[in-house]
Amino acid sequence: MLAILKAQDVGKAYESGLIFKKQHIVLQGITLAVNEGKTLGLMGVSGSGKTTLGMMLAGLERPTSGRVLFAGKDLASMRGPEFLAFRRQVQMVFQDPEGSLNPRKSIEKSIHEVLSLLKIPPREWRDRTGEILETVGLSEELLCRYPAQISGGQCQRLALGRVLLLQPTVIILDEPTSALDISVQAQILNLLRDLQRDLGLAYLLISHQPEVIRFMAHETIILESERTLEEKAKRRWI
Amino acid sequence: MNSPQIINAPLLLIKGLSVSFETPLGRVKAAEDVCLEMQDGETLALVGETGCGKSVVAGAIMQLLPHNACVQGRAIFGGRDLLGLDEREMARIRGSEISIVFQNPSLALNPIMRVGEQIAEMLRVHKNISRNRSLRMAEDMLRRLGMVEKEKARMYPFQFSGGMNQRVMIATSMILSPRIIIADEPSKGLDGTLAREVMAEMASIKDQMGASLLLITHDLMLAKDVSDRMAVMYCGEIVEIGKSREIFSNPLHPYTIALLGCLPERGFQPIPGSSPSMINPPIGCKFHPRCQQCREKCRRKQKMTKVEGRREVPGKDECTDREVRCWLY
Ligand SMILES: Nc1ncnc2c1ncn2[C@@H]1O[C@H](COP(=O)(O)OP(=O)(O)O)[C@@H](O)[C@H]1O
Ligand SMILES: [Mg+2]
Repeated sequence: MLAILKAQDVGKAYESGLIFKKQHIVLQGITLAVNEGKTLGLMGVSGSGKTTLGMMLAGLERPTSGRVLFAGKDLASMRGPEFLAFRRQVQMVFQDPEGSLNPRKSIEKSIHEVLSLLKIPPREWRDRTGEILETVGLSEELLCRYPAQISGGQCQRLALGRVLLLQPTVIILDEPTSALDISVQAQILNLLRDLQRDLGLAYLLISHQPEVIRFMAHETIILESERTLEEKAKRRWI
Repeated sequence: MNSPQIINAPLLLIKGLSVSFETPLGRVKAAEDVCLEMQDGETLALVGETGCGKSVVAGAIMQLLPHNACVQGRAIFGGRDLLGLDEREMARIRGSEISIVFQNPSLALNPIMRVGEQIAEMLRVHKNISRNRSLRMAEDMLRRLGMVEKEKARMYPFQFSGGMNQRVMIATSMILSPRIIIADEPSKGLDGTLAREVMAEMASIKDQMGASLLLITHDLMLAKDVSDRMAVMYCGEIVEIGKSREIFSNPLHPYTIALLGCLPERGFQPIPGSSPSMINPPIGCKFHPRCQQCREKCRRKQKMTKVEGRREVPGKDECTDREVRCWLY
């Protein structure tokens, strides 16, 4: 098994206060590996830093200590095009599906946006759009609609479709079904499993629901809450 | 006692309620032939997927739907049909006899009024209670819903999280001791454990007041935990109604069975297909295109039919009250 995305002793701290600087530790000493084609489950209570960790692994935030490695290479050492290639390979899908779409762009436009970013010639757009809609189980009828005119489950399928166009190897899923009805949750989780089987995707799945993790994950890690970390830090001080 | 249900008239009787909306794309049939009875003191859950028409039912009985709504049917409360009342009569009933907790608290609260004042205002306007006393009663209600510090009552809605505002809404809806509380997705915006706590507190206050609760939710486990009876709605129609525990242990309608199968506890089994359009819904049983047990008959409409409870204890005179809209039964 190949570890494609790794966190080595990663931490994140924010400083607050103007005169008396106070360190606020969100994460500390996290080591984990996402394996190719597998799902790593990430659990923890709210406020334990799950989303922050996901963002750091996706290269959307920088760790304040430790390293993130993609295919063995430290993100911090990647330059321009290399970092862009990484950003394409590792994608993130968020909890709030409406929030990740531009409300003023039709569904078709929001797919074309990605295709144009990928420099796909416009004459192929129609076919590529059709393909991706089929992959995530959306009907072409929806293309002329706007995000507010489709359901939460349809939004999440669309968000997933846009991400799949980039042909990523890893998708970081941050509570992807928490805002959805159980019926839609069941559909999306099964879709994610099918996509993993067909496309060999690796997932980091962030969830607070043990059943979701049990259903999806090959391995699981559990984050301690920030309070436990602060407690530990304090004890070390004393 | 011998079947007291038969003697007592229900507190609220909804009969043949249909609601449609005229839209540029066509007529949306958001509720069709909805029949529900609420007994004194009971908690009835109206469950179903987002968009199936639950809020529309609540909006119709409270006369709170927008002008493009066409409402038919009856909602008998205290010997009168709510759907036929004029705005003045309805305004008297809202809040004092039937109150509603909305899905979105930020729309329902006055942003420039301290939350304690908002709750107390209900008492002053409807019950003529003095300012000081009403404010104390408001604080007390907030405390019971878990907002313990006194200063909380003196804050404004924008200073609160969605969850805290949700609790302010609940307090507002309960302060006048109404006969019926309609709670539309009351746990939205509250995370897991907090949602359960607020819901439990709400249920206990409701019991103390002797009120009935119509709980509208897409959260099946929440409905199971707090409701006595449950009505399952699909695409604007009620497909099954009965005791909540019995529906969970022995669902009868194929849609109820499929919906429960989506639960994490039951392995996330997805329902094939997708929710139908409310403009051109399938004819006959609206679930038939997705139903594993579909037959020719299912293209015709079926009425709600009383079903003998399979779990009935022999010798015990306990009515199961199960009704299903399906040709299998
Ligand atoms: N004012 C309106 N105009 C047109 N359609 C509406 C209007 N209000 C609600 N609907 C439609 O009625 C259906 C039921 O909505 P709703 O009762 O809010 O569902 P639920 O509360 O079960 O999630 C939905 O398809 C919704 O789009
Ligand atoms: Mg609703």
